Amino acid sequence: MFRNNYDGDTVTFSPTGRLFQVEYALEAIKQGSVTVGLRSSKYAVLVALKRNADELSSFQKKIIKCDEHLGLALAGLAPDARVLSNYLRQQCNYSDMVFNRKLSVEKAGHLLCDKAQKNTQSYGGRPYGVGLLIVGYDKSGPHLLEFQPSGNTLELYGSAIGARSQGAKTYLERVLDKFVEIEDAEELIKTGVEALKQSLKDETLSTDNLSIAIVGEDIPFTMYEGDNVAKYL
Amino acid sequence: MTSIGTGYDLSNSVFSPDGRNFQVEYAVKAVENGATSIGIKCDDGVVFAVEKIVTSKLLVPKRNVKIQGIDRHIGCVYSGLIPDGRHFVNRGREEASNFKKLYSNAIPIPAFADRIGQYVQAHTLYNSVRPFGVTAIFGGIDENGPHLYMLEPSGTYWGYKGAATGKGRQTAKAELEKVIDQNSEGFSARDAVKQAAKIIYMAHEDNKEKDFELEISWCSKSETNGLHKFVEGELFDEAVEYAKKEIAGDEDSDSDNAMSSDDEDAGPDVATTTETPATEGNADRDGDIEIE
Amino acid sequence: MNHDPFSWGRPSDETYGAYNNEIAHAPSFPKMNTQQPIVTGTSVISMKYNNGVIIAADNLGSYGSLLRFTDIERLIPVGKNTIVGISGDISDMQHIEHLLEEIETENQYDNSFADNEESLQPSYVFEYLANVMYSRRSKMNPLWNALIVAGVEDNKPFLRYVNLLGVTYSSPTLATGFGAHLAVPLLRRVIDREEDIAKTDLQTAKTTILEAMKVLYYRDARSSRKFSLAIIDNDQGLIFEKDLQVEKMAWNFAKDIRGYGTQKV
Repeated sequence: MFRNNYDGDTVTFSPTGRLFQVEYALEAIKQGSVTVGLRSSKYAVLVALKRNADELSSFQKKIIKCDEHLGLALAGLAPDARVLSNYLRQQCNYSDMVFNRKLSVEKAGHLLCDKAQKNTQSYGGRPYGVGLLIVGYDKSGPHLLEFQPSGNTLELYGSAIGARSQGAKTYLERVLDKFVEIEDAEELIKTGVEALKQSLKDETLSTDNLSIAIVGEDIPFTMYEGDNVAKYL
Repeated sequence: MTSIGTGYDLSNSVFSPDGRNFQVEYAVKAVENGATSIGIKCDDGVVFAVEKIVTSKLLVPKRNVKIQGIDRHIGCVYSGLIPDGRHFVNRGREEASNFKKLYSNAIPIPAFADRIGQYVQAHTLYNSVRPFGVTAIFGGIDENGPHLYMLEPSGTYWGYKGAATGKGRQTAKAELEKVIDQNSEGFSARDAVKQAAKIIYMAHEDNKEKDFELEISWCSKSETNGLHKFVEGELFDEAVEYAKKEIAGDEDSDSDNAMSSDDEDAGPDVATTTETPATEGNADRDGDIEIE
Repeated sequence: MNHDPFSWGRPSDETYGAYNNEIAHAPSFPKMNTQQPIVTGTSVISMKYNNGVIIAADNLGSYGSLLRFTDIERLIPVGKNTIVGISGDISDMQHIEHLLEEIETENQYDNSFADNEESLQPSYVFEYLANVMYSRRSKMNPLWNALIVAGVEDNKPFLRYVNLLGVTYSSPTLATGFGAHLAVPLLRRVIDREEDIAKTDLQTAKTTILEAMKVLYYRDARSSRKFSLAIIDNDQGLIFEKDLQVEKMAWNFAKDIRGYGTQKV
């Protein structure tokens, strides 16, 4: 029987130069619920669908604030995301305290990339099993990054990760020219929610399962949850 | 690749009975599927260029920069696993910074190549790590003039007048040889920038269906005061324009010479002579681990 | 019984012998770090004006009272709009120069906006140096310097001081060392409070600084005639003038001074 011998750890290349463990980690993202990110020339927005384990349990947090100007949304293993967001919080604090400087979003992305890469080149660990959408507003404006366990970090105008995220991505690609021009925060959030809806299957959005965050030139990283998202449903 | 499945290719740092380290060879495979990178040495410096495949229209143009600076006088570009390349550069920066702390002088590039080469080689020695999935082209200018090196996953490095790696290396190498041959008396940094742009455009021809962005950087005594900088603005546009014009000219002559290959969509002849035919097709399909 | 441990006394040497340092693996003598500077640079003086800042320092490195080095540059440019003026120990200054070069190099790493939005700002440089100075003094191993960071940030002049104790402060006019006593009152004749900055133009400020450098050269026995001056102007950027000299001095009075040196009468 065929057995793939090259997927047991992160330190083994397959004969075609692939790292199966890393690729499997990318699969873990797809197990998570969908989360959408987009940015215009003024704001960056995160919209996420929260899931609960059962009727009686609370909903898994999807958006984490890292600093006044920086935050992220996750899809995949939430504990891994907490490790990474704590790391970013530390780095934000370090930059603030040592240099009196806000950590730039670009640098935040590179720091995460380098941290994740370590887990893919040495034996004994595993790659992170989470994808992140990072939004922030720094001196060069609003930014959105997509982070993957492989260590790849990309800057995009819009992105979606998690289960059935392709629907949201396709939608964002279609309305790209419109939303990058949006100057109104509310309108950008609405576009984000609309994109999220393209990735729903059995779920319906409610005040319980919708999470929103925005950051921009006149607004620090702010999360909307519960009743505060009612008007976007 | 008859030795696949014999077990000698499952761990790094293990020799096969005929003396090969398969994990290193597999790392090279990761490089061969990466985007094309090149480096050219000119009279008073070096030029780097890289093809950046645009995988989504949601990507922000001009961001997601690939070429990196190691010290202020050393630039670096690589093909393969991008995060590995960043690891490589981070180590390079440490090496350069430590040298400067100790000797209060910028590190000579040959000394740098030696140190970083040892680091990459060390990753072929132990089964607790894997080799680097990148081939890096780096160089710059120091007190002894311009230097250009290409370093492979095995830790082997050679000095080059022109170096190419990644998917389009065959085309790029052929063109580099031609360009360097034509300019045997050497050429200016500005000319090298134009040629670099052209070569990346030519190397991309085999991969035409995908969109790409071009990135160029240089390090020249006369143009950048010996510092590694990105080529931007007018000069960049000029280089792209030149590249596009050359490609258009080339395509005409291609279709004149080999009319029959047109409908096959095989691209220029060089592409079909790529080495390692056994796995190449396979790798093309699946080897897309890096998201570029 | 008296329960206060302080009144218990300590084991007497007669009974127990002398305290054995080996018990705590302690050295017989306390570890000592820098106790004094060796080669030193004297004052750095600086002031704001309505469109930037000026900073000046002479080029002397003194070995005690010996005027040992005459070509020491103590104004260090960092990025495009910051100058760090350093007085105190010269070897520590050179260490700080290395640190500054390092943060400048590191700021270039993977920074798409290194030349514009994300370039190094005076407040970043200052905060970093203040942290270095404070952490070193907290290790009881200070860098024996007083620093002034001058620059322009967000189109406004920036001027701030930090010294070997990690103390920091700001003022429209700042000076280190002897200059803090001798030059600051002169500078304050022109700029006494925040409001005066707006009334002071570049020319006035420069004249004031030159005048203060002259007075310092007259009265500071560890100063040199040759000095450097830097202006960071909001519009013109960094203007760095080297090899300046204190001009138009009057030393006629000197021959009448009695009571110093080898004079007989």
